[in-house]
Amino acid sequence: MSKNLSQLARRKGLDNTLFQKLVFSTEDESSTSLEQQRKNLAKEFLVGDAVVHGAASFYDFLDDGSNQHNANKKAYVCNGSSCLCAETQKGVQAKLVEQYGEDNVGHVTCLGRCAENAAFQIADSNFSGTDIDNLEAIFKDAKTQSNEKYQVFSTLVTPILTAEIPDIKRYYQLFRELSIKADVEDKQQLLSKLIESGLRGRGGAGFPTGVKWQSCLVEKGDEKYIVCNADEGDAGAFSDRYLLEHRPHSVLFGMLMAGFLTGAKTGVLYIRAEYPAAIEQTAQAISEFKQLSLTTDFSFKIIKGAGAYICGEETALLRSIEGQRPVVSVRPPFPTQSGLFGCPTVVNNVETFASIHFIFSNLTDEKKSGVTLYKNLGNGKSTGSKLLSLDSAFNKAGVYEVAMGTSLTEVIKLAGGFAKNIKALHIGGPLGGVVPISEIDKLTIDFESFAEHGFLLGHASIIGIPDSMAMIDYIAHLFEFTALESCGKCYPCQIGSVRGQEMFEQAIAGDELINQELLSDLLETMQLGSLCALGGGVPLPIKNILQYFADEISPYFHTKTEVGA
Amino acid sequence: MQQAKTAFLNGVPYDISEGETILSFSRRIDETNEIPTLCDDTRLAPYGSCRVCSVDVALTADGPRKVMASCHTPITDGMHIFTHSERVEKLRKNIVELVLSDLPEHMLTKSLTSPTTEFEQVVNETGVSQVRFNSPKKSFPASNSSQETQSVDDSHPFMRSDLSMCIDCNRCVRACDEIQGEQVLSVSGRGFDAKIIKGQDVSFKESDCVSCGACAQTCPTGAISDIFREGLASAYLENIKQESTEQDNPKPIDKVRTVCSYCGVGCNLEVSVKDNKILSIEAPTDAEVNSGHTCLKGRYAWRFYDHDDRLDSPMIKVNGTLQKVSWQDAYEYIAKRLTNIKTEYGSDAIAGISSARCTNEENYLLQKMMRAVIGTNNIDCCARVCHSPTAYGMQKSFGTGAATNSIEDLKQTELILLIGANPTAAHPVTGAKIKQKVMKGTPLIVLDPVKTELARYANWHIQLRPGTNVAVLNMMAYFIIEAGLVDNDFVQTRTEEYQSYAQAIQALNIDQLAAIAGVDKYLVKEAAIAYAKANKAMSFHGLGVTEHSQGSRAIMCIADLVMLTGNVGSEGVGMNPLRGQNNVQGAADMGCQPHQGAGYLVINEPNNIKAYQEHYQVTENSLVNLKEWPTEIGYKIPEMFNAALAGDLKALWILGEDVVQTDPNQQHVVASLENLDLLIVQEIFLSETAKMADVVLPGTSFLEKSGTFTNGERRVQRVNAAVPAKQGCKTDGDIIVEMMNALGYQQAPYSPESLLDEISKIVPFFAGITWQNLGDNGLQWPVYEEGVDTKILHINNFKRGLGKFHFFEFEESTEVLNNSEKLPFILTTSRNLEHYNAGTMTRRSGNEIIVDEDVLLINQLDAQEKGIEDRSKVRLFSARGEITLTAELSDKVNRGVLFTTFHFPELMINRVTGDVTDKHTKCPEYKVVAVDIDLA
Repeated sequence: MSKNLSQLARRKGLDNTLFQKLVFSTEDESSTSLEQQRKNLAKEFLVGDAVVHGAASFYDFLDDGSNQHNANKKAYVCNGSSCLCAETQKGVQAKLVEQYGEDNVGHVTCLGRCAENAAFQIADSNFSGTDIDNLEAIFKDAKTQSNEKYQVFSTLVTPILTAEIPDIKRYYQLFRELSIKADVEDKQQLLSKLIESGLRGRGGAGFPTGVKWQSCLVEKGDEKYIVCNADEGDAGAFSDRYLLEHRPHSVLFGMLMAGFLTGAKTGVLYIRAEYPAAIEQTAQAISEFKQLSLTTDFSFKIIKGAGAYICGEETALLRSIEGQRPVVSVRPPFPTQSGLFGCPTVVNNVETFASIHFIFSNLTDEKKSGVTLYKNLGNGKSTGSKLLSLDSAFNKAGVYEVAMGTSLTEVIKLAGGFAKNIKALHIGGPLGGVVPISEIDKLTIDFESFAEHGFLLGHASIIGIPDSMAMIDYIAHLFEFTALESCGKCYPCQIGSVRGQEMFEQAIAGDELINQELLSDLLETMQLGSLCALGGGVPLPIKNILQYFADEISPYFHTKTEVGA
Repeated sequence: MQQAKTAFLNGVPYDISEGETILSFSRRIDETNEIPTLCDDTRLAPYGSCRVCSVDVALTADGPRKVMASCHTPITDGMHIFTHSERVEKLRKNIVELVLSDLPEHMLTKSLTSPTTEFEQVVNETGVSQVRFNSPKKSFPASNSSQETQSVDDSHPFMRSDLSMCIDCNRCVRACDEIQGEQVLSVSGRGFDAKIIKGQDVSFKESDCVSCGACAQTCPTGAISDIFREGLASAYLENIKQESTEQDNPKPIDKVRTVCSYCGVGCNLEVSVKDNKILSIEAPTDAEVNSGHTCLKGRYAWRFYDHDDRLDSPMIKVNGTLQKVSWQDAYEYIAKRLTNIKTEYGSDAIAGISSARCTNEENYLLQKMMRAVIGTNNIDCCARVCHSPTAYGMQKSFGTGAATNSIEDLKQTELILLIGANPTAAHPVTGAKIKQKVMKGTPLIVLDPVKTELARYANWHIQLRPGTNVAVLNMMAYFIIEAGLVDNDFVQTRTEEYQSYAQAIQALNIDQLAAIAGVDKYLVKEAAIAYAKANKAMSFHGLGVTEHSQGSRAIMCIADLVMLTGNVGSEGVGMNPLRGQNNVQGAADMGCQPHQGAGYLVINEPNNIKAYQEHYQVTENSLVNLKEWPTEIGYKIPEMFNAALAGDLKALWILGEDVVQTDPNQQHVVASLENLDLLIVQEIFLSETAKMADVVLPGTSFLEKSGTFTNGERRVQRVNAAVPAKQGCKTDGDIIVEMMNALGYQQAPYSPESLLDEISKIVPFFAGITWQNLGDNGLQWPVYEEGVDTKILHINNFKRGLGKFHFFEFEESTEVLNNSEKLPFILTTSRNLEHYNAGTMTRRSGNEIIVDEDVLLINQLDAQEKGIEDRSKVRLFSARGEITLTAELSDKVNRGVLFTTFHFPELMINRVTGDVTDKHTKCPEYKVVAVDIDLA
């Protein structure tokens, strides 16, 4: 990261960011060439031409001036893990190519349509399931609605995340009550309550939310930010999309409280470009919030992403907003110390914010208080409820809210069992573990249980890997995904992911068997050496597969004696 | 008492220092047990991309260990660090293998045989001897491969890149951003496809690269380099080859540390020399002034030193042509002529102009020769035409005509006020430091008629009409007093004459002044209030203040603002002239001024006269005896020309200055020189001035001489000869010493040691300086016994006791008053980054390829009215003359203002410039010329 670029961006402020200018610039905006447009931007933002070009060229959906680029396509096919496992995309691709021509069809990594698959995007609208059969109508009228359907189910007596919000005014009444007392001590007290509830970050890392907010509160300075990480890039996950499309006020409320408790006045929602409806619904919710005219100077701003998985990593996300190349920054400093524009910043996942309203409800009544109810749900250090994203491998695919500690077996039962023959579940996104059928009954939905058994709960997306999927192909897919999405900063991930992909592709093609020692060196190098969870995390599912599917994989390896020879 | 925090390095406890990372901790403790790294450069923020510096970390001696990158992990109390555990050594090896898998094969084999780059050393240290991956794809095919993908960029006169050798450590990108602040480099794409780009993926030549070379210096593999570094690398390889084949011992490659001669920043340089030839120049990282950075002039524009155009013999003009003679003949000839002139017309018919490019010792010697051998105070130097108003004005206000603070105070300052200076072009390393501060959020006020690079980043750019500094500075004072933001404590205890000053300021008509200067008074007000409110505000100024008819007065107006707000005498504040030439401070310090001798003693005060006479051992029988000792103030440079034209001045000795090209009103200068009986010029090239000389003496460049230079922050630094004087030439110090002897004065041979010893006995602020104690980084004067130096002046008292307020009314220059009706435009001039003054040196280097002409910037609307298009040839004329040059439409100047540089003397910009000078110092008003233009 560049301090200079952060501070130059700070001067221009959130309402005039280089990144959003790049995202919202359209080809026909003016007759000036792309090169000249970028030069003008560089001049306006007082940065070098290279900064603008470097940032733009990072993203899948921004034109980098080369014609092989993925920007400005007429249609995009989803190539996420769930759609891959559902084996729907060859057909979708063929139909789109037929309609639009090879050159006009790009790719997109996970539209969050994992409950239906066969996902694609046309003119900023997402489609899935049987929509592809309706392609001609969509082609004629871009406003054609998708027929998407998925289950939303809560096992809780009082749903927390999936609860409806019938009256917005009443919903925000809680903020009025809580914000009357605004001394530091009152804030500290509320933060203690939050810590007591046991809420941990829902993005996957599970860091205690109250502790994070407290560390932002104690930072000096009157310019602070609350950032909602809505860059739900994990293939297979769509629970954040659900919340933004259907419960946006729960997210806004959480951010508002975070702002109140840490002294931040600005909330930024970084929403991935792959979720156009989420952006629309959130914008709608923000304007509803404004109409409430609450006595607060807190305001919201949506930043639209441009297609880069790594922006889900918090430091990359912040750099993205600042118009820098979204590469991962070293920590410390942590965002609470030096985040957006170098100011103290709380970055939390959508679902984390969405849990706040419930936790702060009925605080005066010890028994009924949200804190008590929340901490009594769950299993040890994992409290409260968790949203799960179940893909089309389940009979009743959709978003499930369960109490932490619920057994995985029960979840499968709730979802009506599997829709096809499954040999493993990929849980927690591309960096989560691959759980073979044999291990399913050992797991409960909480951070600890997964870690104990050598897996990762992550953001709790669940993809069924069908029997028909060759595990060697799945490993190649994971390496390929990492290679495509690596920011390119640290060598273990930047180069290691490509070497891993090559090893497996060469083995699949029959060109070269895999050298066991080299592979284990590579996985160890990525795991120990990577700067962030992408390069550091992808060895986990690969190791799971190597362990649990050794028989299926071993023909692709040199035998031990050969390795030693 | 708080217990010292300790951490364990491989089992041994050591105290930790605040803010250390594991890497810096480990480096401080044990230099031998080095943790390898590829992406770390101590001058850059920790980045953490290579991961080669990973170490094992535990919280207890036998506790569980975690692998962490040492470059960005803070060391904390009780940590146990294991730098070379089996696990991390394996990790490092595997990472380096990955890196090599994306590089041409020769980079592995070369490492094994002859490591010369940082990268090759790391490959060897980590013990990688093979790449195990099967046919790994490469980001770039090797440069010698037949494939078409271009990895080599040789478009630029200096810069080179071959991205096939690039390891994506981004040190170049970070250096370009964090050191130079230019952001010419970035990365395109992501992941494996990420590659270094210049601009929007163009070549070095097409990019906005300023050729500072920071990227080349930091690159660990040589993927980004420059033509000289490449030459140096091949010289090393050649030596290694020679050694291994056991032929003759190869000639060693020596490193000589010296100081750049291009500007007053005083960058330290490290010159690589083999066989008396310079191969490359780099910036030493331990230099306090420039910490491993410098600009394209210091780093690349040195090829002039052995250029074929160099003079190689003394010459005497016979029948109108210069003819080569022996040194002996030249000295004898000069001695005879000078003695005759002295006898016939008196000592004051002889004058000398010294050079701010030469060493302190040489300047001291030349003024000594004029005073103690010739017997006249007719000695001046080129400070006259640049910062003489600074010296004069600051002496009047504070008592010392030098920067009050040091450049490193920038680290502490909370606001910067920059007046009439374009440091990113003229003082690039200081300019870069200011830009770094400003980009990171320190507020900046710029007073400048031109939208300079820094003005683009300024919070307040007051784009005043050239020549109206006094008006705007007075407005600022007005607003500060009006807002009640005067630092009363400071004003009461440290200054005098505030009341009358404040009364005069408060009586000003602000609207009128705003109209005169063409500025928005509210903008000035905001800026003034910001300046006054800042806890620590630092001001810098350049020739945009001094080279005006009110130059000295504007200096005192700045001093007024500084005193009003108490911004002097502590860290992070002060008034800091950006000295133009490398030793312009020193030339004045050494007494190359007609009114003050060495150490600024006024030459006509009895005590001082006595001191000088004793110092120079003047007796009744000495060459200039007690009676003949000069006590009258001598000629300033412009007065020398006038006296020559009037026939009062008969002989002039010029050391290293091309007055014909660089002094204003060229016709006048030429006529003056023509009227002399004897013109002696010490030069390295046959300059326009040298062509007019009766005797030409071939001197040497800074690369061939030793001595000291004093930079703009009073730092006296050692200059060391990198190569011997060119065949046929002598160092300027030797020439003056030999001339003094030829004139009958016994002067010991030139040596910096003995001369500094002599100087320290007369210049009070040099008292504690010896050649030895200057060390690598020099000392800032005043230097007391034992070499105790001074970073900040006027801490408790001003040199003159109380600081003195001065009020001056704005006065329009007569140049404008007399001419503006017929000549409605104002031309102002300045330097660019690539060239230095008349271009004598820079135009004999690759810089000529980068910028090859002076262009005239004109506002678009003015151009439209005049029917001038971009790149049109235009005729520019003043009351004195006219020239033709290329116009460039620009938003950098307001309507009515024209701007050009003056590096291409064939253009003869000084045909146009005028005779008006600063009232107090006779510094010419280069910055305001009444002109008009039309299409050529």
